[in-house]
Amino acid sequence: MQPTTKSNDPFLKKKFIITSIIVLILTPLCLLLGVTLWQDRRYNILSLIMVILACIPFFLSFEHKKPKPREILIIAVMSAIAVAGRAAFVWAPAFKPVTAIVAITGFSFGPAAGFLTGAATAITSNIFCGQGPWTPFQMFAWGILGYIAGVLGKTDWMKYKIWLIIFGLLSGILYSFIMDIWTVISYDGRFTWSRYFAAAGTAIPYTATYAISNIIFLLLLAKPIGEKLKRIKIKYGLLEE
Amino acid sequence: MKAFANYHPIVIFLYFVFVIGLTMFYMHPIYLIISLAMSILLSLQINQKSFLHSLKWMVPLFVIAALINPLISHDGEKIILYIDDNPITIEAIVYGFAMSVMICTVIFWFGCYNKLMTSDKFLYLFGKISPAFALIISLTLRLVPRFQQQIGAITQAQRAVGMDVTSGNLLHRIKCGIHILSILITWALENAIETADSMKARGYGLPKRSTFSLFSFEKRDALTLTIMFILMTINVIGSFLGYTDYYFYPTFSELVLQPISLLLYTTYTLLLALPIIIELWEAFKWRSLISNN
Repeated sequence: MQPTTKSNDPFLKKKFIITSIIVLILTPLCLLLGVTLWQDRRYNILSLIMVILACIPFFLSFEHKKPKPREILIIAVMSAIAVAGRAAFVWAPAFKPVTAIVAITGFSFGPAAGFLTGAATAITSNIFCGQGPWTPFQMFAWGILGYIAGVLGKTDWMKYKIWLIIFGLLSGILYSFIMDIWTVISYDGRFTWSRYFAAAGTAIPYTATYAISNIIFLLLLAKPIGEKLKRIKIKYGLLEE
Repeated sequence: MKAFANYHPIVIFLYFVFVIGLTMFYMHPIYLIISLAMSILLSLQINQKSFLHSLKWMVPLFVIAALINPLISHDGEKIILYIDDNPITIEAIVYGFAMSVMICTVIFWFGCYNKLMTSDKFLYLFGKISPAFALIISLTLRLVPRFQQQIGAITQAQRAVGMDVTSGNLLHRIKCGIHILSILITWALENAIETADSMKARGYGLPKRSTFSLFSFEKRDALTLTIMFILMTINVIGSFLGYTDYYFYPTFSELVLQPISLLLYTTYTLLLALPIIIELWEAFKWRSLISNN
């Protein structure tokens, strides 16, 4: 199987350039508008728009790459496992294997696949549990964790348990921090650091649970699933970059 | 309860984008009350059972969220009492309630969204923007029940060879559980490759691919969309001119009833009530058709 070829379709290329410009201009424009024109500081809606805009470049580059069916299927399988994992642990608040599975996908298949698995998991699991204003934030949080995992996966570090533990800990904290931004803004309509630290403080038990569940699932699953993914990758020559 | 759900997905989606966006944007008390009332009406109309069920945890959430604000925020002029030298102000209490109303309203609207914007409609719209990612989501949606089924099959087969997940000590059970998961993943990955090859053999990714969908954009969709845009534009212009501003701090701004603000309230109510109006209109048409016979 040959590695993915960049599309040479001039129409797609044009579309890609136009959308990139839109995203690059739209994002600062929204920020500027939000800060100067809306005196009322409606940060809740602004943050929602920003998070959605932040996800667009990842989707664009995936679309631009013209993904092969095999790549699409692998990402779908991994997010389905994460969704099923989230559903299986519905009785334990915040104790979920999602981040671990997204990160393992990232380790094996690179940053782009990691982001997409995380984002797809957020959308799909919320189709089952109910969409809300938190969906874009979860998309971004899991997506970016998958992306970071993908970058780290290019090094040899993740073969060592100590790095898995550190990654699990930090990813739990990062996830909690991103979701806390949403909690603070949704409540207050504006963002203040004192309020943010207050929210982060009350969320410490959750943050700890996120971190612990990430570490446990990473230690349990990283090796067996990682080996299976590696095998399938070598056997079929998947997602080579 | 079918009338608005039968509209084109873009109409339903834009309706919720407008409604949720405006609800999160306005802090004006009258706007908050209009939005809350409309969200409750629509929820009762289309989503009665789960709406009433959700009230069980929404009401405590509402009260708690409202009471936290005066404890954290000490802005405002009308002080009613001091707790440890920290002033508790009426402004902060009212602001807390207003914020609570907004959060609850947004959650109610999302409840209606989940009911009306089913996954097939969402995927249809999303597929126009990012076809490959929409495909990932729809495949994931299909794979979840398939995995559950396969887990059942694997568990039974494993029980037959002595790896019973429902008996034995805890360590044995965990071992069996991991074993089942491991078998599932191997199966799922191999199966995925097969599905992918089948997709490729059927021409996935070739140019000039056609897609089939049940949704067609009709005259009524165009009409509703136009009305929505007109109402939305009126409200946005009103906000730019400052008719919808309202401040809680340092103290409440005055509520003034001008003809223009009355017009704005009416347009806002109309925009939010569109599905309810459509529903009633269809019911009326149906009844008059029956009585004509």
